[in-house]
Amino acid sequence: MADATAEGMTDTGTIGQGVTVSRTGEQGAFGGELLTINFGPHHPSTHGVLRLIVDLDGEQVRRLKPVIGYLHTGIEKQAEALRWQQVVVVTDRHDYLSPPFNNLSYALAVEKLLGVDVPPRADALRVIMCELTRISSHLVWLGTSGIELGASTMLMYCFRERDTILDMNEEISGFRMHTSFIRPGGVLADATPRFLDMLDRFCNAMPANIDEYEALLTMNPIFRSRTIGIGRLPAEDAKVLGATGPMLRGSGVAWDLRKSMPYSGYENYDFEIATSDLSDCYGRYLVRIKEMRESVKILRQALDRLPDGPVNIDDRKVLPPPREELETSMEAVIHHFKLFTEGYTVPVGDAYAAVESGRGENGCYVVSDGTHKPRRVKFRAASFVNLQPLERMALNHMVADMVAIIGTADTVLGDVDR
Amino acid sequence: MIADSLIVEKGVSAGDAWVSVAPDSIHTALSGLRDDGFRLLVFLTCVDHLADSSKPTWPGRYELVYQLRNMETREQIRVRTFLDGDPPRIDSVHDLFPPANWDERETYDMFGVVFTNHPDLTRILMPDDWVGHPLRRDYPVGGEVVEFSEEHEVWQTPPPRA
Amino acid sequence: MGVEALAESLGQNVLTTTLGKLIGWGRGNSVWPLQFGLACCAIEMIHTATAGVDIARFGSEAMRASPRQADMMIVSGRVSQKMAPILRTIYDQMPEPKWVISMGACASTGGVFNNYALLQGVDKIVPVDVYIPGCPPRPEDLLNALMILQERIKAQGITPRQ
Repeated sequence: MADATAEGMTDTGTIGQGVTVSRTGEQGAFGGELLTINFGPHHPSTHGVLRLIVDLDGEQVRRLKPVIGYLHTGIEKQAEALRWQQVVVVTDRHDYLSPPFNNLSYALAVEKLLGVDVPPRADALRVIMCELTRISSHLVWLGTSGIELGASTMLMYCFRERDTILDMNEEISGFRMHTSFIRPGGVLADATPRFLDMLDRFCNAMPANIDEYEALLTMNPIFRSRTIGIGRLPAEDAKVLGATGPMLRGSGVAWDLRKSMPYSGYENYDFEIATSDLSDCYGRYLVRIKEMRESVKILRQALDRLPDGPVNIDDRKVLPPPREELETSMEAVIHHFKLFTEGYTVPVGDAYAAVESGRGENGCYVVSDGTHKPRRVKFRAASFVNLQPLERMALNHMVADMVAIIGTADTVLGDVDR
Repeated sequence: MIADSLIVEKGVSAGDAWVSVAPDSIHTALSGLRDDGFRLLVFLTCVDHLADSSKPTWPGRYELVYQLRNMETREQIRVRTFLDGDPPRIDSVHDLFPPANWDERETYDMFGVVFTNHPDLTRILMPDDWVGHPLRRDYPVGGEVVEFSEEHEVWQTPPPRA
Repeated sequence: MGVEALAESLGQNVLTTTLGKLIGWGRGNSVWPLQFGLACCAIEMIHTATAGVDIARFGSEAMRASPRQADMMIVSGRVSQKMAPILRTIYDQMPEPKWVISMGACASTGGVFNNYALLQGVDKIVPVDVYIPGCPPRPEDLLNALMILQERIKAQGITPRQ
């Protein structure tokens, strides 16, 4: 590679594909060589296409190198070729377990540049969709972590609830997963009465379901012995390594963007930040369970206090007019035409907006050059940064603990690779 | 804070304060901010201003943007610097902010910015033998040509140079 | 394959057609998928395996992680340039007879993303038997595709595939 001689790059014994491995002959504690194994990209327990190159001394992990890029989709390049309103569709797909969070970070950033505030009903609907997705994302984490550690019932129970949430998504937006519900200027559509009814029943039923999950795992001796003391990440390390979300809160740091830098009306809801002082996999498990309970509380409050009013800003230059108006008003037809052929333009500038997703801080940095397509859309991916402490957490643990540690980081490879 | 001697320009954009520094002083500037409590590097990225007509002249083609946050006071600040050259070079800040390690690898992979003193500056998202830096503006979006689409020119051919 | 060779030697008669129907019935009703979840479609694939939709009642009880023990590869998700050689290697490791279901728009044609980073359809590197549109498709769509594939397997019997 021509770049291998660029200044500043030390020769770390690269072989072939730019991967660093231990040199042959490096001695381990028991007198044998370090064995390099490959947790390949195709692996049932790596939560996606993550490749880990692990140097083992017997059974203990001495060095760990994640190799990513197996799901690189070029979303940021794609966004530069799409109009502002079309980018919402691709934002759904990078952290594919939390589409509304991605949509929201993009929408907030664009709204900052446009200088608009959405109506309160839109804020409330956004909060509802986000909290529903937080629960569904934690359910996926819980189900897959459970089955990876042997508790296969967890998968069935968690996905049963997730099916209910996906039915609600379908009711409000027509899509089960990638709703594209939140877009700059408001939301896709108003909540139907059936949606509100489903949400009401969900809020009543969910706490009992969370109790069911806890009954299966929290005092389970196998689960406890596989997670307590495993994957320690002290609070200082977590802060220095930039971890956010349950990785940070599981180490005792009470940092949650919904409380520290609130957005979309989160300051009006009464909920607690879930933290745990244990700093290990078990602590993070407790944090996520508590977050699910707090999300149900927020949903109940949002549902009870749902304000009336429009769900979109009233700016015809940004959002299309309602269909009835197209029959009577020429101006509405012209706005509709312009929006769907050329798209709206956003004032020159740059803005960053972050939301607290199930994984941590998911943010969107948008740069506009005044045209109808973005100049640059950068997604600050929570999983990308949360994957870096993995080596620190896995050092000196056994190979069998690797699965628990990868699971606890709760990384979504779509987010890591974008 | 950053010493005033280092600041080239400053302003506020959509509610966020930003300062612009010269590329050689990025390490000093960020180090000063870190000592002041801005210990979290939120993100590090690059913007390619090729053929960008929103300003009459740009100080450099590549704009590196660092967003720092002070978790105690909730303040955020954006530090920018403009680079030129082929490849553009700048000091690495991974020793100040460990998350910058992978962020800089990604910026190198996508834009070709070389970060001096980086421990392992290799491609992270694209395959290791990939040629070219995809997020540069003169790199085409790629993919399949969409027939009968009037936009396929935009997708497949590089935009005109400034 | 042993059975196909036996059928060749026996010739085309009622014995082989009955044998073919039996083998086809057996193969079709016990298709074991390979877990090849890449992205969002993988989550819907997990839904198909869970109690609400339950692919196990169609015979796909064992979702194997090892390609040596699987019949069918469900490519669920977008295939990036870095992942493509690995996908082909895994496909080559599967023993005959094997089938491929391309689940979702990204696996079938590249989906929403028409750019440098993705293979515009997994059929560029492996032969696909059933395509499922959708982004992501419903779990019931995957079951429908499995049923279509089962019809085909049963009709194929022990006739060698080209």
